[in-house]
Amino acid sequence: MSQIIINPVTRISGMMEIEVTVENNLILDAKTDGLMFRGFELMLKGRPPLDAVYFTQRICGICSAAHATASSMGLESALGVTVSEQGRYLRDITHICDFLQNHIRHFYQLTVPDYVKLPDMPLFEATGRDFRMPPPVNDRIARHYFDSLAISRLGHTMMAVLGGKAPHCHGIYVGGVTKPASTQDLLALRSMARDVRAFVEEAMLPDAYAVAQYYGEYFHMGGGFGNMLSYGCFNNYPGLGTLYVDPLVWIGGAVHPLDPAGINENTATAFYREPPATYTPFETVVEADPGKPDAYSFIKAPRYLGFPCEVGPLARMWLTGEYRNGISAMDRTIARALETQKLLNIFDTLLERVIPDTNVQAEYTVPREAMDAGLVDTSRGALGHWIRIEDGVIALYQIITPSAWNLSSQTQDTMGTAEQALLGAHVADLENPVEIGRIIRSFDPCVSCATHVHTPGGQGRVWKVVP
Amino acid sequence: MTKPTYNSTADCTTKLALDLFGRVREGIANGTLSKRKVVWLELTGCSGNIISQMNAEFPDFAYLITQMVDIVYSNTLLAKEGDPAMDQLFSVLGGDFILVIEGAVAVKDDGVYTIIGRYSGQRITALNASHIFGTRASIVLAVGTCAADGGISAAFPNPTECVSVQDLLSRPVIRLPGCPCNPAWFMATLGHILLYGMPELDEFNRPRMIYGTTIHDRCPRRSYYDSGIFASRLGEETCMYMLGCRGPITLTDCPISRWNQRINWPVQDSTPCIGCAQFGFPDRMEPFIDYTVPQAGEAGAQGNQENQG
Repeated sequence: MSQIIINPVTRISGMMEIEVTVENNLILDAKTDGLMFRGFELMLKGRPPLDAVYFTQRICGICSAAHATASSMGLESALGVTVSEQGRYLRDITHICDFLQNHIRHFYQLTVPDYVKLPDMPLFEATGRDFRMPPPVNDRIARHYFDSLAISRLGHTMMAVLGGKAPHCHGIYVGGVTKPASTQDLLALRSMARDVRAFVEEAMLPDAYAVAQYYGEYFHMGGGFGNMLSYGCFNNYPGLGTLYVDPLVWIGGAVHPLDPAGINENTATAFYREPPATYTPFETVVEADPGKPDAYSFIKAPRYLGFPCEVGPLARMWLTGEYRNGISAMDRTIARALETQKLLNIFDTLLERVIPDTNVQAEYTVPREAMDAGLVDTSRGALGHWIRIEDGVIALYQIITPSAWNLSSQTQDTMGTAEQALLGAHVADLENPVEIGRIIRSFDPCVSCATHVHTPGGQGRVWKVVP
Repeated sequence: MTKPTYNSTADCTTKLALDLFGRVREGIANGTLSKRKVVWLELTGCSGNIISQMNAEFPDFAYLITQMVDIVYSNTLLAKEGDPAMDQLFSVLGGDFILVIEGAVAVKDDGVYTIIGRYSGQRITALNASHIFGTRASIVLAVGTCAADGGISAAFPNPTECVSVQDLLSRPVIRLPGCPCNPAWFMATLGHILLYGMPELDEFNRPRMIYGTTIHDRCPRRSYYDSGIFASRLGEETCMYMLGCRGPITLTDCPISRWNQRINWPVQDSTPCIGCAQFGFPDRMEPFIDYTVPQAGEAGAQGNQENQG
């Protein structure tokens, strides 16, 4: 038996360490450890509730619109603001732009270097890695690494048309967006979306399938538990119905409606003071306890009815039934590329409904007491913001991020989804264990979002798993 | 490379600088000069500054990494992972390199709240890394408000006791605040260093060519302020001073550089400036949007008073 530690896990958002136990080249145990803690939930307490829309975006520099959207939705419910149809279209259009930026950057800048030999420069040196593509295919995708920079940039530029700037936009807000969309804005969005679509269809999708062709064993690696969860997104529009996915879960081989009351967090092996070991989002913001015995991570364990669930593009495509090829590292990558194309279709549908020059904003009054939640699927999966207002200020702000679902620690009963996905994986070269990073990156982890802390010198509980 | 503008020192020495640029370019082409190395460290923050640089245009990010400098380390982009990645990072010690830091430095409990990797088996905290690389770099750039001033990472009650890079290092640190730092600001500063040497800095080590004028002084909505015409909700095309705009106290060039290929910026988006590039963000800039300030005619707006005076 031997231990492999990878730290840093580069090409993710934020800091992570992975420790695996390997015997006969098979992974028997795995720990994913988020290595950064910032404490946003502590900072938010006592602040003006409306500030949360801008404040919480600073959790994550790659998915800022996601937090803006969840926060706005939660505040709308808490403030009793009814978002207009036009407001929803404009906000969802802006949110899609951030999905495009995220997915294109995740594929080319974060995933491709695992499979494609890039030009000789210090940033791309990767001696001894497992590159298999014949030169014409390799070089085509390497060229697209650079071409994609202008396209993912365009995703953020599209987001800024109504968002003002990106990352950390101003435009997504309670009521939808701030700026009335002019004809000029709408035309700009149409033309930029056309350029993004051309790249996605002519480069990104063929490149994703090329990676799949040469690295086919990853369709059989990195599976996980096979439970899928979504809070829904681009759904339930009056007049348009659901363009993507409703709040659903896949557990035990069947699709069920999601009941938000079934969501809780567990800290059995996480460094948080107990009791409670298990709590619902509105109950409490747990206090850090780095000295807690038998704990190994500050990543909490969100569960749905006790089940660890996978979230993200594959979960969404699986729940709608559009993609059922399998659940694996490579299926996640393919689903993300397919979803990028699908989002462009939804973008076009919503854009057609926009009436130019509509100001959806009002003056908002914050109630003395209120509580509600904003649950929405974002680029990496299900994101929840739970807000309780007391005396007109934030009394409790709970955030459960997509990466907390995918990279969660274990409860008394179950491992985290990504940890489980590593079990049983075959590592060909222990000196160069490329398989681990490839599996982990398929989840598109964002440890910045997870905002967790590590334990200094803490001993992980060793899993005894029979392969 | 695009010649940076807005700098009087540079303008006075344009010919000299262009000659120097020509020599440097020639030197790189014939192999007698190599590109300077850049180490990009992500500390206690959101990684939004490296993402923001990928949104750069003229020069763009591809130009930065292929023509301007050799990026030797970036957690977001480096192909290597684990030990080989950290070996590559530490390989710069002893030679010339420019250190770029985004994110604040958590100092509580010896900095255990941000670990950037393992070197020789030991976990390296952001605090360790700031000392190791910050004291040995040729130049240190603190990019984004967290690195430049603590920023959101140091927001009350500052759970991990975050400080700015300058608070930690006794040497001068060039500070480029902004949440995130606009790529135009970073590119102009780095380009100036590479082509013409150190740009002119203010007393807080911000480049004057970027941070020399308030947003308010160059705001396209300034005439509304001067006329006392104020918005009462977002989305209106008038002055947002009464909604809490921090343009009057925020020194940076958003109205000129704008954002994301210059397509928009917060005020053009009909939202107030929240002072994200100004020292004291966020605690001294809240509430970001305030609907409770008395409107013109109710209790006398400042713009009106100024006009009357």
